[in-house]
Amino acid sequence: MDHPEPRTFVSVLRAQQSMVFSIAYHFLRDRSAAEEVAQDVFLQLHRRFEDFEGGSDGDRHISFWLRRVASHRSIDYARKQRLQPSVGLDDAPVPAVDGRQQDYFLNRRLQSLIGSLPEKPRMVMVLRYQEDLMPEEIAAVLEMPVRTVKSHLQRSLAMLREKIDRSMGDVR
Amino acid sequence: MMDDFERQLQQALQKKEPSPFFEARVLGAVKRQGRERRASARMWWASAVAAALLLMTGSAWEYERGVREQAAGRQAKARLELALKITSVKLQKISRKVEGI
Repeated sequence: MDHPEPRTFVSVLRAQQSMVFSIAYHFLRDRSAAEEVAQDVFLQLHRRFEDFEGGSDGDRHISFWLRRVASHRSIDYARKQRLQPSVGLDDAPVPAVDGRQQDYFLNRRLQSLIGSLPEKPRMVMVLRYQEDLMPEEIAAVLEMPVRTVKSHLQRSLAMLREKIDRSMGDVR
Repeated sequence: MMDDFERQLQQALQKKEPSPFFEARVLGAVKRQGRERRASARMWWASAVAAALLLMTGSAWEYERGVREQAAGRQAKARLELALKITSVKLQKISRKVEGI
């Protein structure tokens, strides 16, 4: 019978750094700010690492905890720094491209549009489409009602579809 | 079910890797945090010991002062009693003289 490697702080850091960094990065759209937030999240994890039980339950608990702390820290960071999206909904450049570059520019445009959403809907979108979480899970992470999560998702999706259709209709 | 647009969103929000130095940076910060916490704990103990010493010294000084004051009080009482005794003796002598007149 295989015995899994015992969980250490370094193994969790290696396994989860991409997830924590990406939540902060997609929310803040700033690499150094995202690394700062991610570092704070892992420092906080290290302080209470012994509190998490072992086994797969403990792993799930750590993942949930990391998502929750990363989300809240990112929102707090944005509030403190008063980070404004570098590109607004209406002033993002419309790419004049075709073929292989289309996806790249569409992705950039989508990231930029998501970055321009208000804080809570933006984090809901990041958790839904980066982390593939269901509305119930997002509600638990962000400590908000499921109905609010679903409403944020529907409204953000409708707005993004409209903006994308309007600005990129000619290249799709 | 996700449609094409939602799949495009997933692609746009794919996970990204932090810089290659991120892990080392976090581990360095963890070490610094440990040192700071140990230093802070040492400082706390030093402050607690200093406060305890101060309290003990203060209590000893207060006790000593109380003992000194009690001794001074006893001496003053003894002097007063002696003075009263002398006065009483003199008054008795005067009284006897007055009665003899």
